[in-house]
Amino acid sequence: MAILRTILAAGIAAAALCGAASTATAQETDQVGRQAYLDAVKGKKVIFIPISQGFDLNQAWVAVWQRHAARYGFSLEVRDPNGDTNAGIRAMQGAIAEKPDLIIVQNPDVQTYARLLKQAQQAGIKVLQVNMQSATQTDSYVGNDWIEMGKLEMTELAKTCTAPNAPSHKVVWLAGVQTGAANIYMRTGIDAVLKQYPQLQLVSDQPADYSSEKARQITETVLQQHPDLCGIMGIWDNAEVGAGAAVAAAGKQDQVTIVTNGAGSDTGCQSIKNGLLDVIFNFNAPVQGEIAAQQISELLQHPDHKAGSEKTIFFGPVTRVDKNNATGRNCWKIDELK
Amino acid sequence: MVSANQRAAAMRGGMPRKPIKISQEKVVIGISVVLFSIFSIVLDKFLSEGNIIALLKNVSILGTLAVGMGLVVVGRGIDLTMVAVMVVGVAFSIWVSSLGIDFTVAVLIGAVLVALIGLFTGLMIAFAEIPPIFATLAIASSIYGSGRIIFPSDVLYAPNNIGWLKWVGSGALFGIPASVLIFGIVSVTMGLFLRKTRFGRLVYATGDNPNAARNMGLPTRPIIVTQYIISALIAFIAGLIMTGLVTGINTRIYNSSLIYDVLLVVVLGGIGLSGGQGGVRNVIVGTILVGILTNGMTILNVSYTNQNLIKSVILLTALAIDAIINPRDEQTSQTGDI
Repeated sequence: MAILRTILAAGIAAAALCGAASTATAQETDQVGRQAYLDAVKGKKVIFIPISQGFDLNQAWVAVWQRHAARYGFSLEVRDPNGDTNAGIRAMQGAIAEKPDLIIVQNPDVQTYARLLKQAQQAGIKVLQVNMQSATQTDSYVGNDWIEMGKLEMTELAKTCTAPNAPSHKVVWLAGVQTGAANIYMRTGIDAVLKQYPQLQLVSDQPADYSSEKARQITETVLQQHPDLCGIMGIWDNAEVGAGAAVAAAGKQDQVTIVTNGAGSDTGCQSIKNGLLDVIFNFNAPVQGEIAAQQISELLQHPDHKAGSEKTIFFGPVTRVDKNNATGRNCWKIDELK
Repeated sequence: MVSANQRAAAMRGGMPRKPIKISQEKVVIGISVVLFSIFSIVLDKFLSEGNIIALLKNVSILGTLAVGMGLVVVGRGIDLTMVAVMVVGVAFSIWVSSLGIDFTVAVLIGAVLVALIGLFTGLMIAFAEIPPIFATLAIASSIYGSGRIIFPSDVLYAPNNIGWLKWVGSGALFGIPASVLIFGIVSVTMGLFLRKTRFGRLVYATGDNPNAARNMGLPTRPIIVTQYIISALIAFIAGLIMTGLVTGINTRIYNSSLIYDVLLVVVLGGIGLSGGQGGVRNVIVGTILVGILTNGMTILNVSYTNQNLIKSVILLTALAIDAIINPRDEQTSQTGDI
């Protein structure tokens, strides 16, 4: 009898346990916080104002964000001013008037949108800046540490051009546009390295306006003045191919090292393979896009946080790419991202 | 010299003494000579053979475009579509070749497209009688805009195994780079065309006084249409030079000041915007002045922004000197002057 009672008790206990377990499973079928997240981002409105969608990096970002937008049901509108600063200002004003949940902006320079970004924040719109910063700091910046980029590139040249077998200590800095945030900050990094290596000689410092033909012209002229030039550093792989073409035309590919940075698209890798560029510091635009996507979801999830109340920065990873690793993920193609 | 002229004039039958006419062309040649001498003395390697070749190579694209623009301006028109046609024509060829068509065939297809654009522009100006400055401004925007829709990216790279394209970029004949050679061929052909052919003379007649030309029974409309087709094809050639030099084309050049530089070279050399005057020689004179200036300032490491400033001041000086030496009055100015 006692045995029977024990068995019964055990049975009840077991049944109770099973029951409890099954209730727990029912509660946990919905992953913790998932529904709240989905509800928070669904139907939200995000407006992106780029410099131009013609750039490889912009296309990569938007491909990544559109994937996230489709998956979670927020809308992403791209208002492309196509490199026109005035059109960009109008796009910003329009976006502020529409009161979206988030504005993503890629600044053409440090000043143009500075006041508008303040206005947006005051109007309660959250602002995420990508890769090109404004003088106004907003909720978030995702992109390069441009000072680090300047240091990385110049240090690369310093190593090559202060080596015992270097053709000379002469280096060239081919900037983009002088007022661009990236230019200003890279220059700070460059100066720091130049101080560290006083023997390095900066023989030319001219912006090539992100144009490969202008970069080619400057390089060709500088090579005439300094036939023993050791290295060239630039700001965008698609422009520095022009410098590479001038060096190749002079037959000095073995003598002149060309270092630049880029979004990591396959065209850059092809330029390395064709011998036009030596090193690209690759900031991998798709990865940058994913980091920004994390920021987008974070900013959308907390509508209660006041715009501009917390300011965060995240610098994406940078990979040094040369002819030994110009393959695979270091060379993305836009079609593969979509 | 003056007295000799006087005597000669007297001998020709007492005609009133003609003062030596210092044309704008001569003013520009004078400024070029002065700058060239200063740079030769001040700058170490300015006068080296390599630098002179680099100088010419760097203005070959500008010069080629200016020859086409010169033709249109002589015919009392203006072609602001040239840069748009150049970038979109070549980008279209590269895009077609990316669909699996042989690059050379793709270039021919591009040439046909470009000729059709020129035909359309010409028809709008000659038959619809839209003033050329507005017609070409609007068409330029449309061409570039269409390009932005078709092409995946701003920067398009040509396939890198095309022999003739490589030659255009880095080949040479008797030490003269191919790009300079092409500029030379285009100039000489245009010079002969304008001076020696009946059609060329008709262009001058149309440019000088379109109404009179038409009343005389000259086919002014077909002449105007042909000018725009030719200038479009010349722009395409300039684009091919650029693609050869830097392995690809950046369609963003459309947004640069290149088209105004082209116009400046034409006007600076002494082809009046009122039409009917000047020739290829003027274009070459203007091109060489811009070449000397840019080369010297690049060697001096003057920044791009300041270069543009100095360039504008010198160009304005040249125009001002001309305005003082050859003042405009009711007799010399023509209707149609801009």
